[in-house]
Amino acid sequence: MKKTILFLFILCFSFSSCEKDDICDENTITTPRLVITFYDYNNSSVEKNVTNLTIIADGMEEKAVTFNGSTLINGSTVSIPLKIDAEMTTYRFILNFGSTNTAAPVNEDIIQFNYSTENIFVSRACGFKTNYTLNPTNPFVYSDPSVPLSKWMRLVEVKNSIIANENETHLAIYF
Amino acid sequence: MSLLFANAQETQAPVKTTAKDTISKGVIPKKAAVANQPTIVPKKDSIIVPVKTDRYGIRLGIDLFKLSRSFYDKDYTGLELVGDYRLDKKHYLAAEVGNENKTTDDERLNFTTKGSYVKVGFDYNGYENWLDMENIISIGLRYGFSTFNQELNTYKIYNSNNYFGETPPLASGQKFNGLTASWIEVVAGMKAKVFNNVFMGFSLRFNRLISNKEPDNFENLYIPGFNRTYNGDFGVGFNYSITYFVPIFKKKVVPVDTKKVTKKK
Repeated sequence: MKKTILFLFILCFSFSSCEKDDICDENTITTPRLVITFYDYNNSSVEKNVTNLTIIADGMEEKAVTFNGSTLINGSTVSIPLKIDAEMTTYRFILNFGSTNTAAPVNEDIIQFNYSTENIFVSRACGFKTNYTLNPTNPFVYSDPSVPLSKWMRLVEVKNSIIANENETHLAIYF
Repeated sequence: MSLLFANAQETQAPVKTTAKDTISKGVIPKKAAVANQPTIVPKKDSIIVPVKTDRYGIRLGIDLFKLSRSFYDKDYTGLELVGDYRLDKKHYLAAEVGNENKTTDDERLNFTTKGSYVKVGFDYNGYENWLDMENIISIGLRYGFSTFNQELNTYKIYNSNNYFGETPPLASGQKFNGLTASWIEVVAGMKAKVFNNVFMGFSLRFNRLISNKEPDNFENLYIPGFNRTYNGDFGVGFNYSITYFVPIFKKKVVPVDTKKVTKKK
């Protein structure tokens, strides 16, 4: 009888260690963002940093995407969310945001992303996540609202049309 | 008289001394010896004990917790019938049969589980009853099997980036049929006779899944009989039962058995 009681105690303690599934772990792969990497147009294998790039989704007024704690992006990569309840998200990519320097003027390009979504079960605590697949025939529509200033992006290319994690580049922008 | 027997069962040593004492007192006039007679007798317990019998039969009942929860929890209806059959002095064949319909409303998911289950196994009674008591403090094992279906009612998408704001729960209505699961349960329980043949019991159960047929793009987060599942295939459960004992036959308690028990202690 003593042995069985001891066994029950061990069992109790082993249970206390495996309870923790009410909070969605930050390391869990949930809904991914679209990862964009910027490259030098003249040397397509070299990443190039953008300067004061601000990215605002259509319909979000002036609320810009925050990446690494800032809305002004100065690195060579950025991740942006796609709408989970739509199959299209349009972003304004504003380079040299707030600049008064005529040598580096504010230049706005627009990209509309077309995709399909798939909701995948993750866990009790996290619920579901959404993975995206960029439309194979028409993944994005690239345009420029201001005619006088030419587009700052010179080439946009899909690297991975399946957006299931943030470890790889999905879109390459050459400028 | 029988109380004396109980004492004898507890410790052997005092019985011997009593016996010796009485023998040395043998010189004392007969009248006194007669008065002492009852104390002599425990030397051989089988003589004084009015043959002790154990009752064998089937105990049938219901889990009060599931029954009462069906009344106060609008998201739950369930019923569990419990039963056991005494195999020998300490072993009982035990089984539970039940049906559950539960809607789980979690932070990010809302789903309904419906299904039935059966658990079969045994209980080992580790409690040494005095006299004609029939109480049980047991440890046991069960094999559980459940067949059920799940329906995902609503769910939320987890998005660590809330640039577009949290989206409201999405309606699903997706049904997952033909699911099954099996598991092993370790049961610690007790039953006490409250009156006549009526017993009240409580049991605590630790479960571990053996097999689990999971749906596509969802998980069995609740399994009838097993209860909520945790990450490591473990689960816990309990029941609070009221049972009625139907006696079928009686068996004499063999004295040898009693001696064995005394030795163990």
